Amino acid sequence: MMDFLEITPGRQTLKRWYLAVMFRFFGRAIQAAARVDQPVTSEFAAMPENYTFCLGAFPGGPYMVVGKDENGRVRYMGSSIAHRTIHLHLTFKSPALLFLVFTFRESTPIANARNRLYVRGDVAQACAVMRVMDMIQVFLLPKFLAKRAVKRYPDWSVKRRTLVRAQVYIRTIAGL
Amino acid sequence: MGIPDYYEFGCNTTIVAGHDALEQISGLLVSMEAKNPMVITDHGVRRAKLVDILLQALDGRITVRTIQDDVPPDSDIKTVQTLAAKYTKNRCNAIIALGGGSVMDTAKGVNILASHGSDNLLAFAGAGALHHTLNPLVAVPTTAGTGSEVTRVAVISDPDNDRKLLFTSGFLMPDAAIIDARMTLTLPSAITAATAMDALSHAVEACLCLGRNPLSTAHAHEAIALISHHLLPVIRNPGHKPGRLALAAAATLAGMAFSNSMVGMVHMLGHSVGSVCHVAHGTCMAILLPYGMAYNFHRTNSQLADLLLPMAGADLFARTSPADRAQKAVDWVHQMNRRLHQATAGAHTVCLREIKGPDGSTLVPGHLLPKIAHTALGDGSIFYNPEDLDYDDCLMVLEAAHGGTPLDRSRVKKG
Repeated sequence: MMDFLEITPGRQTLKRWYLAVMFRFFGRAIQAAARVDQPVTSEFAAMPENYTFCLGAFPGGPYMVVGKDENGRVRYMGSSIAHRTIHLHLTFKSPALLFLVFTFRESTPIANARNRLYVRGDVAQACAVMRVMDMIQVFLLPKFLAKRAVKRYPDWSVKRRTLVRAQVYIRTIAGL
Repeated sequence: MGIPDYYEFGCNTTIVAGHDALEQISGLLVSMEAKNPMVITDHGVRRAKLVDILLQALDGRITVRTIQDDVPPDSDIKTVQTLAAKYTKNRCNAIIALGGGSVMDTAKGVNILASHGSDNLLAFAGAGALHHTLNPLVAVPTTAGTGSEVTRVAVISDPDNDRKLLFTSGFLMPDAAIIDARMTLTLPSAITAATAMDALSHAVEACLCLGRNPLSTAHAHEAIALISHHLLPVIRNPGHKPGRLALAAAATLAGMAFSNSMVGMVHMLGHSVGSVCHVAHGTCMAILLPYGMAYNFHRTNSQLADLLLPMAGADLFARTSPADRAQKAVDWVHQMNRRLHQATAGAHTVCLREIKGPDGSTLVPGHLLPKIAHTALGDGSIFYNPEDLDYDDCLMVLEAAHGGTPLDRSRVKKG
């Protein structure tokens, strides 16, 4: 019987580490924006209590879990999807495809149009989550990067572009 | 045209087309080991005696376990659950979907539940929520519009929440589609017009939306050319079998195109008008199509310009300067709607406020436009539209389509 060399797939450690850091930052930014930005608050207000969604990649993550707790407060719930009821899964087919989006080489709408992610759950809620993600990207990214990430760079008020954005940044860093 | 860095295209459905193509159905079912099918259809199809033609085409190798003709014009979750229970009770092992878009999508929903042994359709909503092949499904379209016989998509109403649920998966593609001209010969002219405009909206959006690619565009352009050549002649001469077959082929081509590149705001708004006001899908598509083209004009100028060739033919295309072709394509769709309005003695409507119910009431009153705009924001087709839309954008487009006035493109936010 012949001996075959067993090949272990690469772990893409650096990409996974980068995505994990981005997810942590992004998740905390969603939590922060839900506290201080009215349009983001409104999107979450329309979701049911205890509603939880995750963004991640097959087969083994990384993942970002965000949801409303029993008091209706939006929280970044970490990176584990185990032992949780998740109502909406936005899952890229591989970490490499997720990496394309989080390095701003491909926008989320284009990734979706290219059939790169699965959306399991209520499509109406998925639309709301996508709108929230677009707003977070506009808050966090410089304009030249955000324009690549969203379909249309929004024309926000001066207050939202400065004061609210500063609050989102401070709360994201502080984890509030 | 610019070729995308990456795209996917697939159609696993065996297509059998011709004037007497239905005679092949028994052989197809036997090859799938699907000898005990359930027939799903609607009252209109049964009244038109198309079920009789189907049963005559089936030979002794096939035993139809049950014929269900209770599918409403707007397929919904409860109908799907009821039919799935009957499928299991009658120990069926396949489905023949005989009808238009509602019947096809209902059949796909029934097949999801029957194949998974489930009664919760919501668990399978969204993109990629199915993970294994379904039971055999043979689609026999009786309208030339939906294209559902070759698509990976099903749209099913959730009346409790005034919305339409989108199901997308490669496993939803029927195993076979039988395109037989006899199935559409008795279609009234207004429905022929609306369903063909539905197919046109599939083809046009396939060329404009974010998932467009060379293969879907090729299918879409051929579909547009066939509709352009054959729609008005068939409206004037409904018994013209070659014209009927050409329109059926166009609908299938457009279905293959949009199933691979998806559709955008025309369907997003149209689904919402349909679910809130219970208007036929094709009617919504016909009215909203030129408005969707105008809204996306600045993002898709070159694709719109290319559409003028299959729409208006080589002569007009050559006579029109390249800078004017995109606008001419939008104008062509407006003009086609007006011609169909005349050819159907007003039955084909050109604006939302003109749509009437059977009792003559206005189906889309102006005060419902905000609710329609709000509902539209939860429709999955928004992902694929080239330009973004918020609530105000949806309302602006709906107001223009309601009054039948041209869209003021200077009001479209460009970001």
